[in-house]
Amino acid sequence: MYWLSPEEWVVLGLSARVALCCVAVVAIPGIACGWLLARTRFPGKAVVDAILHAPLVMPPVVTGYLLLVLLGRKGLLGEALYRHFGFSIAFTWKAAVVASAVMAFPLVVRAVRIAMEMADPKLDEAARCLGAGPLRTFLTVTLPLSRQGIIAGLVLAFARSLGEFGATIVFAGNIQGETRTLPLAVYSYMQMPGKDAAALRLVLASIVLSLGALVVSELMNRRYHHKLQGGVG
Amino acid sequence: MMIQFTAELVRGAFHFQMDCLLSDPVTGIIGASGSGKTTFLHMIAGLLHPTAGRIVLDEEILFDSDLGISVPPDRRRLGLVFQDCRLFPHLSVAGNLSYGERFLSSGERRFNTRAIVELLELESLLNQRPDQLSGGQAQRVAIGRALLASPRMLLLDEPLASLDWRLKQQIMPFLRRVRDATHIPMLYVSHDSKEILDLTDRVVVLEDGKVIGAGPVIDIIKDQRVLQQLRLQGLVNVLPLAILSLDTAGGLTHLQLRTASAEINSKPVEISGPILDVRAGSEIHAILRPEDIALAGSHIEGVSIQNQVCGQVVRLIHAHDRDMCVVDIGIPLVVEISPSGAKTLGLAAGNRIWCLFKSSALQYLDAGSTTDSQAQ
Repeated sequence: MYWLSPEEWVVLGLSARVALCCVAVVAIPGIACGWLLARTRFPGKAVVDAILHAPLVMPPVVTGYLLLVLLGRKGLLGEALYRHFGFSIAFTWKAAVVASAVMAFPLVVRAVRIAMEMADPKLDEAARCLGAGPLRTFLTVTLPLSRQGIIAGLVLAFARSLGEFGATIVFAGNIQGETRTLPLAVYSYMQMPGKDAAALRLVLASIVLSLGALVVSELMNRRYHHKLQGGVG
Repeated sequence: MMIQFTAELVRGAFHFQMDCLLSDPVTGIIGASGSGKTTFLHMIAGLLHPTAGRIVLDEEILFDSDLGISVPPDRRRLGLVFQDCRLFPHLSVAGNLSYGERFLSSGERRFNTRAIVELLELESLLNQRPDQLSGGQAQRVAIGRALLASPRMLLLDEPLASLDWRLKQQIMPFLRRVRDATHIPMLYVSHDSKEILDLTDRVVVLEDGKVIGAGPVIDIIKDQRVLQQLRLQGLVNVLPLAILSLDTAGGLTHLQLRTASAEINSKPVEISGPILDVRAGSEIHAILRPEDIALAGSHIEGVSIQNQVCGQVVRLIHAHDRDMCVVDIGIPLVVEISPSGAKTLGLAAGNRIWCLFKSSALQYLDAGSTTDSQAQ
């Protein structure tokens, strides 16, 4: 009664796998885009900024629909993928990863961008004058200085992926053992007679996981701010 | 080491156009804020690109707008020390010091870490984080970090500007040590003549993005604009002194002017200064402002003024409100007097003259450092 059933463990395991893969997928592009927005100037930057942040403001179902139009087996890109490589990601667990990655991406970009804007670019100049090339400067100065912000952004992405519902159900479906993540399972169990207890157990599991991620992110943020306010230079 | 510098940069109302040849071991760049000093230094370092121009270090072209050459800052190997230190907050002092070393091949390494740590007295700071350092300590670390990147030249961009006078006094001896122990060529930018004249008498004077004078101070102050600019930036005399003895009861320190030539005064010149708690035999520097010196035609008896030093007038310069007189007392001393005073004395080049100044007019540059000049 109080403990998770094997079926519910599968849901939890799948959710964790999807969320971790989501973090892995968004990490590098998210850091790159955050850096681009924080440190560079280029024409059309505002447009790029708006497009990157679109999933934050669009209804998740719309995002899921657009993903399906783009990557579905008959989609704009998906059809070519299926024809040439014989695979389609829609309605697989990979689709759940893609859906939550798209939803989580703006959060990572935002966190990285803010962290990199707080890291003084004058320190980059100092590194250049000490012999570090642009890439080495990024790796040894910019990245470590925004490390806490990056980690906080990735924790947020993890939490966002755990909670992702709308885009996932449209693009990945709700297949037990394949794409039925926590929120989808809670929703499904609520529709089934006699599954109230299971739904409740998963709700509690979700709350523990999400709050845990948020607490970790908040602690890291605080440590980061504390460090910066401690005085630089 | 020689830098040929020709560059132009227009930014809004600011028009920077500089042309100069730098070949002295230590050159001071003096000018008011906004005169283009930092622009000049950043162009040499490669952080700023001229609109047009050519910068050559010895045989190597660092920048040439016609040839489309611009060597990135990390390949110029010029150590830039910033006014705001710019230590890396995520690294310890030791991490900051060794930052530049990893980019060097063993053949490029000029300095030994331990020697630099000793030279700048950084041992006790090595494990600290930059936010635990005082302003003066942070700047010493920044200088050490720049040196350990083994630059061909040290570029100092107002390194003492954010420090108060007491802290400046503590850092200046270190800069002199670096100059004497490493023999690294230096470009020292400041709006404060004191700092520069403590290190060198070779200066480039900037005004509104242009060079208005370059060379030894006592030569270039012939030019009215240069003199005016230098006075605005606090033109001072820097006297190299050795401590003879301490007269606590009399409230004096007996000093001797360290000078190579003894042409003017057959005996070593003895000077009295304010009390200083440094052992006899130490070598120190003191500044003496031109307006704190009076001139007399002969030695005067019965005055409380402790210092009367005989010298020879080298040159008389008429500024619009004051006259500047350069007197050789073994070192050239710049003295500011009123035009009527100059007339009364009948000052002319070649005259023997007495320079009078109170012991309290001397301001020590090395207070707080007791080990100066033993660096080598």
